[in-house]
Amino acid sequence: MKLLTHNLLSSHVRGVGPRGFPLRLEATEVRVIPVEFNPDFVARMIPKVEWAALLEAADHLRLAEVPKGPTQGYEQDETFLRKMHHVLLEVEVVEGTLQCPESGRVFPITRGIPNMLLNEEETQT
Amino acid sequence: MDRNHQSNGKLGKTEKKFLRKQNKARHTLLRHEGIETVSYATQILVVANGGLGNGVSRNQLLPELEKLGQVDALLMPPNKPYSFVTYKTIEESKKAYVTLNGQKIVDDLGQKIILYLNFVEKAQWKELGLQALPPGLKVVEEIISSEDEKLLLESVNWTEDTDNPNFQKSLKHRRVKHFGYEFHYENNNVHKDKPLPGGLPDICDSMLEKWLKEGFIRHKPDQLTVNQYEPGHGIPAHIDTHSAFEDEIISLSLGSEIVMDFKHPDGVTVPVMLPRRSLLVMTGESRYLWTHGITPRKFDTVQASKGHKSGIITGDVGDLTLSKRGIRTSFTFRKVRQTPCDCSYPLVCDSQMKEPPPSFPESDKEALQLEQKYVHQVYEEIAGHFSSTRHTPWPHIVEFLKALPSGSLVADVGCGNGKYLGINKELYMVGCDRSQNLVDICRERQFQAFVCDALAVPVRSGSCDACISIAVIHHFATAERRMAALQELARLLRPGGKALIYVWAMEQEYKKEKSKYLRENRTSQGRQEINSDPSAEEQFVEPVPDTGHQDSACSVPSINDFQKGRSNSKEVANCKLPIHTNRTSFHSQDLLVPWHLKGNASKEKPTEPFGPAGTHDPSPVFHRYYHVFCEGELEAACQTLNNVSILQSYYDQGNWCVILQKV
Repeated sequence: MKLLTHNLLSSHVRGVGPRGFPLRLEATEVRVIPVEFNPDFVARMIPKVEWAALLEAADHLRLAEVPKGPTQGYEQDETFLRKMHHVLLEVEVVEGTLQCPESGRVFPITRGIPNMLLNEEETQT
Repeated sequence: MDRNHQSNGKLGKTEKKFLRKQNKARHTLLRHEGIETVSYATQILVVANGGLGNGVSRNQLLPELEKLGQVDALLMPPNKPYSFVTYKTIEESKKAYVTLNGQKIVDDLGQKIILYLNFVEKAQWKELGLQALPPGLKVVEEIISSEDEKLLLESVNWTEDTDNPNFQKSLKHRRVKHFGYEFHYENNNVHKDKPLPGGLPDICDSMLEKWLKEGFIRHKPDQLTVNQYEPGHGIPAHIDTHSAFEDEIISLSLGSEIVMDFKHPDGVTVPVMLPRRSLLVMTGESRYLWTHGITPRKFDTVQASKGHKSGIITGDVGDLTLSKRGIRTSFTFRKVRQTPCDCSYPLVCDSQMKEPPPSFPESDKEALQLEQKYVHQVYEEIAGHFSSTRHTPWPHIVEFLKALPSGSLVADVGCGNGKYLGINKELYMVGCDRSQNLVDICRERQFQAFVCDALAVPVRSGSCDACISIAVIHHFATAERRMAALQELARLLRPGGKALIYVWAMEQEYKKEKSKYLRENRTSQGRQEINSDPSAEEQFVEPVPDTGHQDSACSVPSINDFQKGRSNSKEVANCKLPIHTNRTSFHSQDLLVPWHLKGNASKEKPTEPFGPAGTHDPSPVFHRYYHVFCEGELEAACQTLNNVSILQSYYDQGNWCVILQKV
């Protein structure tokens, strides 16, 4: 699971709503998998990123050099884009957990795959 | 077994399964071969599944054994599925016991075998002496003359009837032809209320009358299946479906002799020689309990001294020889049952062990259970095979994805094996599916994917530039649930974002054109697959009888119906779900569609002579639940969503499709 994916994930436990975001990330195994740098692509992602969630997740993974926010003229700032490229697309959580901040429900990440299935009680109205 | 232990909880099951099998092997050895295994370590081990009798040779086995220590002796009794190894010291034999138990080895046919080892005091086994034929079995030799054999063989026209597809089926191994009633391999049963015109051929009729009079058979059959086996062909071990046919099943062997294997559920195998022009009669236990099958190979091991006579092939070493197979044609006559089976073997009886057939769900809970059993569990089982049939992306879907702006965030809800996740590298695509096994495949392909339910997608609202949901919503069992799935897709979209939805159409023939699912198609290799659903582009169909235009079992529901949450199929409540015949038109909107598990999934399983005695069906069949959509139904459902507008609505190869935009 990449951090850009984590940025999209939100808890869907009944009744939690938007308070289910962001999911608290803990990792026991992380890998860096190189991805071809496409500055245009990364630049387009920037406006879509929920920054606070990204910073929190990066912090939990103890990543260094994570920009605190988009810089002025970031579209042309290669250094910035490369850092964001790395954080968003190259860091893969292989084993870990995602926790709903509201309900406390923990979802496992195994072999890079988050299992977000809820059981019957959790989905009932 | 440290080797087997992994962090993943799943492997606990593998260990348990292995221990069960090891115990079963031990049990079988004792009961049928008179081999007593002991629980303490000795120098001698019996290696179950490592014998000449199951195709393992000395030069395959000995090197593996020698890796663990000094082998004093390796005794491989001929025709036995086991052997005995004596190590120089107990330490070495202990090492072998621990290391080789559960180890895979390859036999002379290249199939994988699992070895099970147990300690014994002596390298000794009970000579079986005269093995008995399975109870209820008899073989009548020379029941017809050579002239009649010739006539019968000539009467079968394998090349005719290409325009009458009911009469000829070509399966992977042998050629098959049915008379009287057609046998359906989808559920291994006959269509009892649809007899084939013409009945049994006249030439057979007089023959059967004669046999009745002479007392060789007791009942007059009304169904005939002709099988042609070329050398190398076989048929997997099976029991003829109890509910389909009465007790007496007879089979005439023409053209060549063959060895047929009968297996008892305990694991005992009895190879029986069926000479040319002989009639095999199976009744009682041999018909209901033992499985019968023909190993796909070009040579059989036979008794030299008995020549071409019938009987059991025993383990008398000096008397065994190889016999090259010829083309064998069998005429199997059976009488179709009209009532459920009431035999004395309920554990293997489909009438008596029947699970209640699923019916149309009447509540959300029932819908959930139906989906769990007939969608989720099935996809988990078939994931590998399913994925291998889902490789060609559909042009319109590719078009949709390629038209999206670079840098779009796209969710594929119900992504399956990730077929569409890598189509456009300019997009950031995330897939999700209900099946862990399918998501695993996405992961292997380096895609971003997670496991979830399409009714509760754990993605924040309004975060996606686009979504696709291909062949997913038709698996939800009520209109409310289908609506809820559409609502989720709409929720994920940001304003202006687009969604593409595909569902299977009731109408498989549209504007006079048949969908690929229905159309006759053959590859140059003549490969024919029996199963599939719309996305199986590369599946080439068997010719299908034209069943005429489909019933219009659907009326487009008014928008009111959806808003009030009423199901448009409420007329069919309390109905059992029909099982669909693949490659034909749909006659009901809610149904079960068979999937024949083949290839990859089962190829990986090693063969185990000490394992369970074969299944009933030549290939396992799974049923998947579908609600196929009528023209306009998907559109109408989308129209009730107040936050989207419909950009496009079209028909594509047997699917109804909609492109939505979030307002």
